[in-house]
Amino acid sequence: MIKYIIKRILWVIPVMIGVIVIVYTISYNLPGSPMTTRARVGDVGLDAPYIVQLGNYIWRIITRLDLGRSYASGFRVAEELATRLPVTFKLSLLGILLMLSIGLPCGMVSALKQYSALDITLTSISLILAAIPSFVLALLCAILFCVVLRWLPVRGLNEWRAWILPVFCSSVGSLAVYLRMTRTTMLEVIRQDYITTARAKGLKENVVVRKHALKNCLIPLTTIAGLSVANIFAGSIIVETLFSINGMGVYIMSGVLARDYPAINGAVIAMSLLICVVNLVVDVAYAFIDPRIRVQLVSGSKKEKTRKNKAIQF
Amino acid sequence: MSLLDIKGLTIHYVTRDNTVKAVNGINLSIGESSTLGLVGETGAGKTTTALGILRLVPDPPGKIISGEIFFEGKDMLKAGDNDLRKIRGNEISMIFQDPMTALNPIIRVGDQIAEVIELHQNCTKAEAMVKSLKMLETVGIQPERSVEYPHQFSGGMKQRVVIAMALACNPKLLIADEPTTALDVTIQAQVLEMMNDLKKEFKTSMLLITHDLGIVAETCDEVAIMYAGEIVEYGLLEHIFRNAKHPYTIGLFGSIPSLDKDVDRLSPIQGLMPDPADLPSGCKFHERCNHVCDDCKTTLPDYTEIEPGHFVRCPRAVKGEI
Repeated sequence: MIKYIIKRILWVIPVMIGVIVIVYTISYNLPGSPMTTRARVGDVGLDAPYIVQLGNYIWRIITRLDLGRSYASGFRVAEELATRLPVTFKLSLLGILLMLSIGLPCGMVSALKQYSALDITLTSISLILAAIPSFVLALLCAILFCVVLRWLPVRGLNEWRAWILPVFCSSVGSLAVYLRMTRTTMLEVIRQDYITTARAKGLKENVVVRKHALKNCLIPLTTIAGLSVANIFAGSIIVETLFSINGMGVYIMSGVLARDYPAINGAVIAMSLLICVVNLVVDVAYAFIDPRIRVQLVSGSKKEKTRKNKAIQF
Repeated sequence: MSLLDIKGLTIHYVTRDNTVKAVNGINLSIGESSTLGLVGETGAGKTTTALGILRLVPDPPGKIISGEIFFEGKDMLKAGDNDLRKIRGNEISMIFQDPMTALNPIIRVGDQIAEVIELHQNCTKAEAMVKSLKMLETVGIQPERSVEYPHQFSGGMKQRVVIAMALACNPKLLIADEPTTALDVTIQAQVLEMMNDLKKEFKTSMLLITHDLGIVAETCDEVAIMYAGEIVEYGLLEHIFRNAKHPYTIGLFGSIPSLDKDVDRLSPIQGLMPDPADLPSGCKFHERCNHVCDDCKTTLPDYTEIEPGHFVRCPRAVKGEI
């Protein structure tokens, strides 16, 4: 198991190098890219050929975690990111927690009480919420809660109440999707034969749901949760901009507007790394939840033994 | 008094568009340590009957419309949830048709068996586990394999696990819903033989649901032939196998190749089962029956005893015209 985790962590390295190559190549080839101007600007070496620039870029990242300097401000991109990444990370993490803590139980209740008034209410609300783009929702919420009702601050993250709207708005779309996915998965699992077996054992319904159904639901739901993380992360760009939160989103936005290539590249790479890590966590979680995957990972000698046992039986 | 008595059980699946009449007023009874075979085509309502006994018919859409199910004198249909849970898995347990899907894929098989023991036998987890290992041994699986997961077992072994689980609490009644359908023939024989032995060992009564008359001949004391949610013929094994009266039963036997008769063609039953959402009037079988008369099309025939313990739902058979 530990071997598997280490192997999986090592896999992040080639993936990230791939990401860096792609990101750098795209920005190099963009029309009007400064990297093709062959200008000699300070120490950035934009006059060097593509392959040399790319090599230097990767080398500096690996050896010094250096993502270059912003053209606009002159600050080091890596340092800028280091102060902003935690903000976005916290925002997304809260968004994911919100998604899981509401989407999962509501989806389950919805499935267990299929076609009840509660189910219809939950699924219709989630449909509406999934359909509204997050920037529209964020603006509407800001008008209602910050301007009309004056319950919440409209910008910044200075007090805990300020977190409410950004977290809600960045996760609500994923939450709605997650609720519906949970419902669908649960409906499928609850009709399985092994659930009938569990009921026929005389188990209480809540034990059947918790011990037998939920665990099986978690297998697909973990994958979807991993995908939603990427979604919430990307969605934070818009939400941060609307609520003037000084995170990755604002940094990317201002970088794009200012054609600040090192800033954009650095931010995209940082986000990719985060998503890579999330995927890593999902993969490892998968192995913990699903024994069918876990068993594939144990050493071959035990497998051999199992096969022999089978041969003896029949 | 028999162990299980079913009287006039009717189960329908009610959806917005139509009502599927799966089980229509059946009567059954199973005595202590005897085996009743419930035979019928796919869609005849056999599994629904079995689920109905344990009150496990999925609701919605399934509804038990009417009838009584007495288990040791208690009416299962009036029992509360708590009472039901004490009966399920403990006094009545069930073996499901498909061993591939009947076990939870992410729980170790030993734990799945121990779960039911712990639930019903007032013992600690460790004691339940010991008993669980013993059950695995009883069905011929090495106890050390209890830590493995269902996908590491072959189909026949999974069915053994299911059987071990069903017998773990020494139930008085075992409902086996086509226990061998998903298995190949050699494994079928092994599983059947094992079930027979265990049945004797634990003095368990059994309701064996199948569409395989060969299995019935080997294991059952009594047989009920089910067609379109009704029992058309019911009797001891000899009654059904030596003296079948209902045209449907005769048709079933006519569909099986015989070892000692040389015929060019089998004589199968013409046509298909009627749609249970749109059952014909009168005798449900009249559209496929070679002996149909006008009466059959309009009136549902009575369930008549033609010799002690042998019931037939066919007026012409009762009159001896078949």
